[in-house]
Amino acid sequence: MTIDMSQFYQVFFDEASEHLAAMEGLLLDLDVEAPDLETLNAIFRAAHSIKGGAGTFGFSDMASLTHSLESLLDRLRKQEARPTVEMIDLFLRAGDLLKEQLAAHRQGGEFEDARVEEVCRKLEALSLAGSSTGPAPTPATDPIQVADRVWLVEFLPESLKLQPGTDLQALKQALAEIGVLDVLSEDREGPHRWRITTGLDREAIVETFAFVCDVREISVRAGDVGVASAGDAAVDEAGFTEEYDGFGLFSGAPGGEAVSDEEDDGFGFFPDAPGSETLSDQELDGFGLFGGSPGMDRVAAVSNRNRVDQERGYGFFDTSPGVPEVEDDAADKPTAADTASIAIAPKKAAGAARRPSSGDSSIRVSVEKVDQLINLVGELVITHAMLAESASRLDPVINDRIFSGLSNLERNSRDLQQAVMSIRMMPISFVFNRFPRVVRDTAASLGKRVSLKLIGEDTELDKGLIERMADPLNHLVRNSIDHGIETPERRHEAGKPETGEIILRASHRGGSVVVEVTDDGAGLNRDKLLAKAAKQGIQMPENPSDKEVWQLIFHPGFSTAERVTDISGRGVGMDVVRRNIEEMNGRVDIDSYPGQGTHITIRLPLTLAILDGLSVRMGDEIFILPLTAIQESIQPRREQFKSVAGRGQVVQVNGEYLPLVVLRDVFSLDGEPVQQEEGILVIVDTVEGRAALQVDELVAQHQVVIKSLETNYRKVEGVSGATIMGDGRVALILDVDALVRLNRKAA
Amino acid sequence: MVRLSDGVTNMNEDRKDGAAQGGEDSREYLTFTLGDEEYGIDILKVQEIRGYDAVTKIANSPSFIKGVINMRGIIVPIIDMRLKFNLGQAEYNQFTVVIILNIAGRVLGIVVDGVSDVIALDREQVRPAPEFGAILDTDYIDGLATFDERMVIMVDIEKLMTSGEMGLVDQAQMGAY
Repeated sequence: MTIDMSQFYQVFFDEASEHLAAMEGLLLDLDVEAPDLETLNAIFRAAHSIKGGAGTFGFSDMASLTHSLESLLDRLRKQEARPTVEMIDLFLRAGDLLKEQLAAHRQGGEFEDARVEEVCRKLEALSLAGSSTGPAPTPATDPIQVADRVWLVEFLPESLKLQPGTDLQALKQALAEIGVLDVLSEDREGPHRWRITTGLDREAIVETFAFVCDVREISVRAGDVGVASAGDAAVDEAGFTEEYDGFGLFSGAPGGEAVSDEEDDGFGFFPDAPGSETLSDQELDGFGLFGGSPGMDRVAAVSNRNRVDQERGYGFFDTSPGVPEVEDDAADKPTAADTASIAIAPKKAAGAARRPSSGDSSIRVSVEKVDQLINLVGELVITHAMLAESASRLDPVINDRIFSGLSNLERNSRDLQQAVMSIRMMPISFVFNRFPRVVRDTAASLGKRVSLKLIGEDTELDKGLIERMADPLNHLVRNSIDHGIETPERRHEAGKPETGEIILRASHRGGSVVVEVTDDGAGLNRDKLLAKAAKQGIQMPENPSDKEVWQLIFHPGFSTAERVTDISGRGVGMDVVRRNIEEMNGRVDIDSYPGQGTHITIRLPLTLAILDGLSVRMGDEIFILPLTAIQESIQPRREQFKSVAGRGQVVQVNGEYLPLVVLRDVFSLDGEPVQQEEGILVIVDTVEGRAALQVDELVAQHQVVIKSLETNYRKVEGVSGATIMGDGRVALILDVDALVRLNRKAA
Repeated sequence: MVRLSDGVTNMNEDRKDGAAQGGEDSREYLTFTLGDEEYGIDILKVQEIRGYDAVTKIANSPSFIKGVINMRGIIVPIIDMRLKFNLGQAEYNQFTVVIILNIAGRVLGIVVDGVSDVIALDREQVRPAPEFGAILDTDYIDGLATFDERMVIMVDIEKLMTSGEMGLVDQAQMGAY
């Protein structure tokens, strides 16, 4: 039996893609003129972690590419060479290739491309260049072929605590796969001593052990081929434990790389260090024990920074909506560096408890399981509402214990619901972090100068929404660069700075998330849009408002670009953007000022699972109206109702004529039609402007759990979903945009 | 497999009588009545049987789709087979029965007059139905079987429920199955 590594692949894939994303962010953040040593170190660590993982799992192509990457990075961080723009470009290309390799491995294949070799060669050439004065560079080839080293492993078999299903034989086989294994002594009573000759470093050996047993019980020491005697193997437990704690591959959180910080930096000091069983917090201070070691200052700096990050990180995890954004902070460090530090925070918080279970402070769970949990909690909330309704008929004096129990249940289930919902919440930086690269590449290919500012990346929203935000945002940003921002010459003529600016801002505003894309470009051209609309035969009212004109760009097939580029201009974008956002129950608004730029606002609900709604009654049926669509509700007077020949009925509200949508007619509900002035008019905001929806009665405001009708039935026009009310009945959630469409069809 | 809710025929007792005969390759069918006719459907498609509850109507849907109900948090559409098969006006009382089916991964309920039996039938016992011409679409009828001197109409419930004429499923979606 051997250890089946493939069961850990997924963890590696996830970790590696996070490292790659972090590396890319850091690279883009790096100022070539004045390289920040910390950033270089962080980039190096990311590459190193990928290499370590790839080597362990036998993805030698990735390992060799990262190795080349690492050798050049190593020279940079040791300040033996200065970073150049050329190098950064090369690093980014290498990162892209690694992503492709990773994707290929995910599919179970191999990625083969001549570019890999080319990039490797260039990296090596750069790392060799100018190294005549420095120490000889490491031969940049497959790490397997690096000169073999000898490692001594010592352990007591009975204290290993092998994982069930593995035995020493399996361990030996696994070790034999990475190098030559000699058994020096294997007494039944005394400690086992093995000698491993391999090209891999100590980390790889420890990893192999870590899969099957408690590594704290094992000692791994470097040995010379000549001095490889088992007798002098002093147990070096402390150094070992330190290293294992820092080892990030299986910590499983977005900040995995960050956890390994201490270890990577400290590596090299620890094996010789006097053993100290320090706790995590002290561990940072514990660097002081090795005072005088070369590079000491740097290590201290890392530990300090981590602590600062940690303190700052706590604030971000306050899940209450509407937390004021830490904007200054985010503006200062607008890239992945911030995300990394956020991810550290919970880890550090759990630091004290971390030692025994070694980095188990977070787990990866499939989204399905979380969704199931959310559904179950939704059921619980509904059940509570049903109970409360039945209990409301009881005498509160006699049954006071039932009532106090119910109110406890309500509080608990609400807390539970909030806690479960927060599992799905992720900072929007997961989407935002790709944009520095998008902007850099797009601007470069168009010969424009654009800087990107990210604000409020820590705004949390539902994971499902985050994933679906990526495409629309990508489109909007590329559009802004292509159409919005002018060329440097034109900007100069207009008296603006030559570098255009795009701002991506996310924030919580009253129960919804607002994402804004702002550019300081030319703005939309009203006349051009109107001319184009006329050409395409799009009906426009006379003297349309700016808002109505801007909405034109969401029309299918509408593009005002003079020429079609591979970036935008085909006119198949903005309508898709709007549709995507509306599918998420969101809205898009545009503001534009000629010569000053365009401002696009996307408003999204916090989550896809719960909706704030107003329940309305029509006959015997209860419907839910999304609160976001409602503007006001009025009790109409008879004289407000007017009819227009052939175009149906309108209602005069505040001097404006709104189309009247009678729910009863649209849904062909039976029952006595009520007198017009007896109903209530709910003024709703739709894509086609405002409309008045007539209902019999407003019932109450609820938070409802959205259920899909399509799971067991099909899409129903005018209805976006269903929910279960407190009495256990189903209520349909209305889609006001579709209602207005239906109404027009009926008329 | 079959879960019972209150006020419904106890199926376990029925099963003793009905399942007594039948050979190795026989299959079990649930029979129900609609007016004077008796129908049989594959019991493996049946999830549970329950009483009729208030439904929430769905706008602009065919009359045989009564609406949707909440079944332990799942939204389930309810179809009245009496209206679908034009078997007169259906009455709803405390004895009205809803058979909850699980078809192609979807859950839906059918309203019938009553559930009568679980019977085991061999393939040979089912005879092809005669052509009724244009009066009746026999596409969904597997055949006719005789059981205890009664004629049971065997319905391919999956084919019926996923057909375009029922309008239960978006046809584009069906491509996925």
